[in-house]
Amino acid sequence: KRTKRAKKRAKPCSLREVEVTVSQLGLGYKSDETIVFHYCSGRCTTSRRNYDLSLANMKRLQLLTKDQKDKARHSPCCRPTAYEEDISFLDNDNKYHTIQEISAKACGCV
Amino acid sequence: MTARTAPFNVRGLSIRNRNMYIYIYGFLLFLDELVFSMSGSSALSESGHQDSMDCLRATEKCNQDQKCSHRFRIMRQCLAGKDRNTMLANRDCQVALEVLQEMALFDCRCKRGMKKEMQCLQSYWSINIGLTEGEDFYEPSPYEPMTPHRHSDAFRLASIISGIHSGTSKGQPHCSDPSRPCNPCLDATKACNLNENCKRQRSNYISTCTRAQTQGQQPSQPQSQDSCNRKRCHKALRQFFERVDTQYSYGLLFCSCKDQACAERRRQTIVPSCSYQDKTKPNCLQLRNTCRLDVHCRSRLADFHTNCQMTPHSISSCLNDDYQACLASYTRLIGTDMTPNYMDSGHSNFTISPWCTCRGSGNQEEECEKFLQDFRENTCLRNAIQAFGYGSLPKPDPQPTTGSAKPDLEPTAIVSKTTMEPGEEPCIISSCANLNVPGSPPNTRVEDPRNSSPGTKALTAALMLGLLFAFESLTM
Repeated sequence: KRTKRAKKRAKPCSLREVEVTVSQLGLGYKSDETIVFHYCSGRCTTSRRNYDLSLANMKRLQLLTKDQKDKARHSPCCRPTAYEEDISFLDNDNKYHTIQEISAKACGCV
Repeated sequence: MTARTAPFNVRGLSIRNRNMYIYIYGFLLFLDELVFSMSGSSALSESGHQDSMDCLRATEKCNQDQKCSHRFRIMRQCLAGKDRNTMLANRDCQVALEVLQEMALFDCRCKRGMKKEMQCLQSYWSINIGLTEGEDFYEPSPYEPMTPHRHSDAFRLASIISGIHSGTSKGQPHCSDPSRPCNPCLDATKACNLNENCKRQRSNYISTCTRAQTQGQQPSQPQSQDSCNRKRCHKALRQFFERVDTQYSYGLLFCSCKDQACAERRRQTIVPSCSYQDKTKPNCLQLRNTCRLDVHCRSRLADFHTNCQMTPHSISSCLNDDYQACLASYTRLIGTDMTPNYMDSGHSNFTISPWCTCRGSGNQEEECEKFLQDFRENTCLRNAIQAFGYGSLPKPDPQPTTGSAKPDLEPTAIVSKTTMEPGEEPCIISSCANLNVPGSPPNTRVEDPRNSSPGTKALTAALMLGLLFAFESLTM
């Protein structure tokens, strides 16, 4: 059972990709063009700082009020640190559009 | 080179037939190349393909030689004058011309996309500008002749692409997905978007061509939203076609369409609202004059006329049956003043034209129409585009197949057909067959007598082998 759990452990934060149509982005554009959507996913446990450990401990010791506790994050997030260049596409009404910062280029635990 | 690409084409085959096809294919390729190298060798040496120097080097070399540089200076003076013809009749000029014609300078050409291409072309035209009098309608191409392709790589690539879409890719191909309309142009866009370089270059020209001109715009012109920077748009387009693999760029430009949505997408490829259309339609001869003032435009137009000229001597209507050369020089016109495009989004038939008309030609109407016809009614260009889009050769129209031309065309025709499974790309194969031979059965493979049964295949292979040996012993 232990080995199974070990296998299940998520990979560290990294860039992943998925093929989607522009319509599926949900930005209101109607286009059947397929693009590669890069996103960031994975765990950031290894890049926890003393800050994170301390904060986690404060939360455990109830040193923060409930309101404060909910909003304080004691673990870094896997987020894009850079975005790809603009992506242009033709929509289903034959109009061109260019969208910015739609796809991640690099990821980091921040 | 052709042999190198061979394994890719076999991918689409079922394992059962694979070996058989490899053998036949190999033989055909070999034979094809052998026959071609034999027939083409004389033509190649004649055109001086090997020994033609680029014009920059030729000028340099001439400048080092005192005799040559002296005559060259005289020649330039003869050509520079307004009254060129009377100057050329001058004895000094004629002597200079005679001497220079013996030199490498007059055979010089430029390479496409070479370093300092612009300077080379300038150098070419400075020598050749006045020498084509009388032949003014078509100018010879300043570019090196392309290595003969005869519907090879790009067309194989086309079938490779369609192979990717139907077989190996994760996404559902549109053409086999009944819930979606078949749209090969959309598939080509997908292929481009999945390639990092193509996606970047495409986004680059689209955003450049759709960006409203803001810099230097006066506030007194509020309706500037649809006025783009045409020059920058053209430059971005040229860059796209120079830097992106033809397998992707041709896919976008020459995809085959069955419905209007697809054809409209194809027409929109070059962002015509900025790169093509204009407020007014100039006269075509006037546009040609504008084009000839620009070294790039003039060179590329001359190249187009050289490589896409119609010839009655081949089934394809193209010189040497070289579709690749025609498509390449057509593509290189995009981003010049003579940018051609599809006229409308008709899917059953398409018309290609630069943005010009023959109205107001005066007494030059005939010449204008002739010029325009090379775009609008160019069967070589049309066949080349169809051959790319449908991944196989268009059938000769109504004329009976001539015996002499048939062996030339057959091998590649088989190649493109065998790269696809019968049921794999129903849209592409059947629409091709239906378009070119109305009423013919959709399965083109069965149609071909050479492919009809394993027995005949083996026989053909044996025959080919025999021929091959015969050729080899001949050459030895």
